[in-house]
Amino acid sequence: MDTSVLVDILQRYVFNVANLQGMLRLSTPVILAGLCALITARAGILNIAGEGMILFGAWFAVAGSYYTQNSYVGLAVAILSGLVVGGLFALFSLKFGANIIVMGIAINIFAVSATIFMTRIVFGVAGSFMHPNIQGFSPIHIPLIKDIPILGGILSGYTFPVYLTWLLVLLTTIFLYRTPWGIHLRAVGESPEAARTQGINVERVRFLSVMASGVFASLAGSYLSLGHMVGFFDQMSAGRGFIGMAVNTFGGGEPVGVFLSSLLFGLTDTIGFRLQGERIIPIYFISMLPYFVTLIALTYFTIRKAQVAKAVFKKKAAQAEAER
Amino acid sequence: MTYEIEMIGIRKEFPGVVANDNIDFAVRKGEIHALVGENGAGKSTLMNVLFGLYQPDAGTIKIRGEEVKFNNNLDSIAKGIGMVHQSFKLVPSFTVAENITLGHEPSKLGFVDKDAVRENVIKISKRFGLKVDPDSRIRDMPVGIQQRVEILKALYLLSDILILDEPTGVLTPQETDELFEVVRSLVATGITVIFITHKFREVMAISDRVTVLRDGKWIGTKDTKDTNPKELARMMVGREVLLRIDKTEANPKEQVLTVENLKVLDNRLQEAVRDVSLSVKAGEILGIAGVEGNGQRELVEGIIGLRTAVAGDIRINGKSITKMSVRQRRDYGISCVPEDRYVRGVALRASLEDNLIIENYDKAPISKGQVLNLKKIAQHASRLISEFDIRTPSSKVIASTLSGGNLQKVVLAREIDARPKLLIVAQPTRGLDVGSIEFVHRRILEARDRGAAVLLVSAELEEVMSLSDRIAVLYEGNIVGTVKGGEATEEELGLMMAGITDEGEDQRDSHSVEQQVSQEV
Ligand SMILES: Nc1ncnc2c1ncn2[C@@H]1O[C@H](COP(=O)(O)OP(=O)(O)OP(=O)(O)O)[C@@H](O)[C@H]1O
Ligand SMILES: [Mg+2]
Repeated sequence: MDTSVLVDILQRYVFNVANLQGMLRLSTPVILAGLCALITARAGILNIAGEGMILFGAWFAVAGSYYTQNSYVGLAVAILSGLVVGGLFALFSLKFGANIIVMGIAINIFAVSATIFMTRIVFGVAGSFMHPNIQGFSPIHIPLIKDIPILGGILSGYTFPVYLTWLLVLLTTIFLYRTPWGIHLRAVGESPEAARTQGINVERVRFLSVMASGVFASLAGSYLSLGHMVGFFDQMSAGRGFIGMAVNTFGGGEPVGVFLSSLLFGLTDTIGFRLQGERIIPIYFISMLPYFVTLIALTYFTIRKAQVAKAVFKKKAAQAEAER
Repeated sequence: MTYEIEMIGIRKEFPGVVANDNIDFAVRKGEIHALVGENGAGKSTLMNVLFGLYQPDAGTIKIRGEEVKFNNNLDSIAKGIGMVHQSFKLVPSFTVAENITLGHEPSKLGFVDKDAVRENVIKISKRFGLKVDPDSRIRDMPVGIQQRVEILKALYLLSDILILDEPTGVLTPQETDELFEVVRSLVATGITVIFITHKFREVMAISDRVTVLRDGKWIGTKDTKDTNPKELARMMVGREVLLRIDKTEANPKEQVLTVENLKVLDNRLQEAVRDVSLSVKAGEILGIAGVEGNGQRELVEGIIGLRTAVAGDIRINGKSITKMSVRQRRDYGISCVPEDRYVRGVALRASLEDNLIIENYDKAPISKGQVLNLKKIAQHASRLISEFDIRTPSSKVIASTLSGGNLQKVVLAREIDARPKLLIVAQPTRGLDVGSIEFVHRRILEARDRGAAVLLVSAELEEVMSLSDRIAVLYEGNIVGTVKGGEATEEELGLMMAGITDEGEDQRDSHSVEQQVSQEV
């Protein structure tokens, strides 16, 4: 195979504007799931309920949009559901002392059957619910930016939640490092005793962080059901809650880190879609791809990080050796 | 006369212990009131009740004559009470300034005003003469600095009542003197101070009155000028205490530890130990004196293997251990009591039993193959508990419920009991009461006489001088001099600790040397 063929393949399947757009679009729910994991992890809580909360968000977004035929109302309803589910989760695990892992698993399992059940009762269908009344988000073309060659194509033309997500990445960073609340949250996560003795209400901070995670998750859910697709499908969260935890870890608990590591997931997901059309590789393998690649990359970069730290130390040691 | 603080009939029970038993405690406005008592006597508990972190099972608290009920420490902070805790309550990844202002950040339009944070911290640091670098991260700071940050944290809130729970435990003598100046200036402005310490020197130097607790009970309150260390010791312990121990002549044998041209980096990858060579023989104690932060911690961690040496060689009985893992070194006969017991010495959430077998859990008779022998573990624990007089309701409690001093005894018990060839003890009596200090010193001497090589690192000159057979002074990562234990004088050591050696080769320009000397001697 000579290089021109390779370049051709790379262009076709990997590096083209459509793929970059796809990457940004498909990474959106992962970024949100990552922020959902981040906001609780930074408060010292291991929250595995993201998956279930995303699913609820997706369902309520569809319900809201179906009845009002307005995608933004759908979004608002989803956010509300996120606050309620997050609030209940916090109430049981933080206030009443239920084990937070068990509670998280319970929510994840409950979300699957509850949404199936509600779809059947409310909409009278099973498996999936699509209807012309459900309004999805429509793309927004940003004036000026959309006319820039190439870049315009990459930066403009997405739906509202995509832009909102970018904004949230920025806002979360500012929140964590520039506001008293964010500082309190980090202090609670790292050293609850220190926070408590300084008069910070540790329980309240944790409670609110779980509620915030519910909001992030429900945003992810509404993007899945009103942006990525239009309609509700059983288990449509498809593990993104867990991938969110992975990208958070990988991103070092930083919003920008979450953003960047989610792009990786988005990119493989997009490539997977392209390959699906070509029917070269078995479809199950392709659906596995984004998860698999994310996992491998996470492992690789984590090992790399340790190696870099070691290399710095080795260099110092060599210097010391050379000095004598 | 109304008291500033009145605690009446305070009772606080924990599972299996009555930490405070019907304690009456009254403090006058503007006084410095020392609170003393053995490890586990209930001092911290009483203060945590006053600070609102614990709710008493019985009793009342009055502040300025008004009865109060604190549901949490927000209530007590609102009443003007500030507390410096015995165990540091700091956020490691935060900067010094962020820690000091935590929970009370100056803000503008909802955003933290970072400049104001720094400036406020610099201001109070200047005002109280406690020097800190506002931008350093806590995790990179030696414990002495961390202690300062803790104190500044309480001062930042401008409390009317300041509780200091063993603030001098990790301070050098001159840092302690500086702190005393601060405390005196605070009292001059009308602040009331409660001061917990184990050092009678400090009680006598700073307090107006002193209250003694024993086994959770109030024993007595005295005017400081009407009492003396001997009487206080008797009130605390309930028997006569030797305030100084007699030591027999050392009988050194073969060389156990040899360190050659060791170089070790600190967390920031700076050279903390530059070029250290030393040796310790079986049956002798080598004391390392020096102002804290001159490489002591890195030296210890380098020898036990927590830090990799970037250059140099470490040998035990002639065999190089430089490349060995911590576990291998331990198996080779090294034990260590680290300076920071909360982080390195114990697993705070593990039980006392588990903490006591960390050293030998994989060896008979504690385990057989892969199976732990629970009965043996319990026996092992109760033997050490009684041998080392660890005050605890049972061997099953988790370590974090033990009082500070008793936690230290847990580490000592485990490490000394391993019967090492080389015993490293860093700040072994930090936070211990007089009775326990006497006891621990005797234990260290016993280990020596049994034939262990002992490396003693301590910021307490008195301790180094009374225990060591030889003393090496560490200054900026180098050993600037070694003297015989019996012959050293405090002045001589003090000069060396400031980096001035006999050969007159000053390590700094003369001006700063003068400053240093006047501070440190
Ligand atoms: N949170 C807790 N849970 C259970 N027991 C506790 C707890 N805190 C303290 N204790 C017990 O209460 C007793 C008093 O402890 P306290 O910390 O008040 O002693 P202290 O006088 O401050 O001692 P030290 O000088 O060693 O700091 C000890 O027996 C300790 O084990
Ligand atoms: Mg205490």
